[in-house]
Amino acid sequence: MAESRTRARPLSGTHAVLVRVAAVAVLLAIWELLVLAEFWPPAVLPGPAAVWDQLLATADAGNGQGGYAGSTVVERLGVSLRRVGYGSAYGVLLGVGLGLLMGLVPLIRAITEPFVTFLRALPPLAYLSLLVIWFGIDEEPKVYLLMVAAFPPVAVATAAAVTGVNKQYVEAAAALGASRLRVVTTVVLPASAPEILTGIRLAVGIAYSSVVAAETVNGADGIGGMVLNAQRYNQTAVVLLGLIVIGVTGLIIDSAILAVQRALSPWRGLA
Amino acid sequence: MAEALVELVGVEHSYKSKGGPVPALGPLDLRVDPGEFVVVVGPSGSGKSTFLRVVSGFEHPSGGAVRLLGRTPVPGRDVGVVFQQPRLFPWQSVGANIGTSLRWAGVPRADRPQRIVELLEQVGLGALGPRRTWEISGGQQQRVAIARALAAQPRLLLMDEPFAALDAMTRERLQEDVRTLTDDGTRGVVFVTHSVDEAVFLASRIVVLTDRPGRIALDLPVPLPRGAGLSADELRGSAQYAALRGEVASAVRAVAA
Repeated sequence: MAESRTRARPLSGTHAVLVRVAAVAVLLAIWELLVLAEFWPPAVLPGPAAVWDQLLATADAGNGQGGYAGSTVVERLGVSLRRVGYGSAYGVLLGVGLGLLMGLVPLIRAITEPFVTFLRALPPLAYLSLLVIWFGIDEEPKVYLLMVAAFPPVAVATAAAVTGVNKQYVEAAAALGASRLRVVTTVVLPASAPEILTGIRLAVGIAYSSVVAAETVNGADGIGGMVLNAQRYNQTAVVLLGLIVIGVTGLIIDSAILAVQRALSPWRGLA
Repeated sequence: MAEALVELVGVEHSYKSKGGPVPALGPLDLRVDPGEFVVVVGPSGSGKSTFLRVVSGFEHPSGGAVRLLGRTPVPGRDVGVVFQQPRLFPWQSVGANIGTSLRWAGVPRADRPQRIVELLEQVGLGALGPRRTWEISGGQQQRVAIARALAAQPRLLLMDEPFAALDAMTRERLQEDVRTLTDDGTRGVVFVTHSVDEAVFLASRIVVLTDRPGRIALDLPVPLPRGAGLSADELRGSAQYAALRGEVASAVRAVAA
């Protein structure tokens, strides 16, 4: 049905996994070859094995420095994920709420849209300074930074989804005697759910990619803090390890949200 | 005389455009009583859809008055609509679509499962409740749309070319089922189509609209037998059917010319 349109057919499940595993293997091989060829000294480009050793070392709480500078890589990941989790959750709640209002009330949209676009254009590092002045250097500015980063894409996606709901469904509901509130809860929200979830997916990605920025001030206990610290001491392997850990967990979180989206809206593209 | 189901007095409607108002309908007078199956036929652009939108309360006429059970029509109050496309909610199962309609109609939660089963059986889809709306055929979807509209127990059912997108076999089967909807005399149906055959088969009364703006060109009672146990093929093959078909077809040709 959907596949008979112009869209290219996606690879089948096992096929896609094989192709991806092969691509990662090729990438690792090229990396290792570059290291073996000694184009750059190991301090600039350590090999996969060195990064792997760092993973084992920083994951070991009994290695004499409590993993890395006092806490293991797993603990650091937990601290950062907690920040991303709270920041995204607040951002999503705020974004869905405001997006709904924007989509339903043209006046609210006209007033708030420029502010949302303004926020969206700011790099998180830029408003971190302000958040630190306002909220200090503990958890609040970090969570608020991630919230501010996460909320605009959700608001924009929700507003677009709500205004884009097929008028035929709304009219069908009205013809069945549904009140305006019921049309919103029973038709507009479920009809917009797939697009709202796309906005959430985007938002969590942005929040996660902002975690290093959020941890530049008194955030040494997170995974972003580890990267910043390692950079100061030229520990390239630790920097690479941090990047890989952030990237891989980001991928996992993204596929989890994608799976939720598919489970919640199997009708997407069919109606 | 008992209270009319729908009464239109001097109704006309025009749409706004840059070059001034474009008249789409009327003026026309029409009265529909409970138990009547009125089929409105007309060429494309004769204001058939405008007529339904005015009767259902989606549009307020620019002139004249519409009364549904004595009141100004409001969508969903005493009136149900079956659209050309089924418009089922794809995020709900077949049964849940009907359940939503029952909920909005104020049917208590405890009674709904039983009513869903009854309504699905009424439209010949007994076992399809748990299915996804896109997993069933177009004809089955339209049957669900009819069940969903009937769930609210409207006194008046409006049908806007509901079978236009279906294949000929499915269309005839659905026509046979829909024809009986007015048999108990409590509800009325106003059915819009451009097919003369569909009109003659379904109607207890045929109204032919003129080209834009739609006015009544012909208001013709259809004396074909109604009720259960009739053979649809016999009906379609009868001399009376052929004569009516000829009369309506020439009226439609005349207004379209």
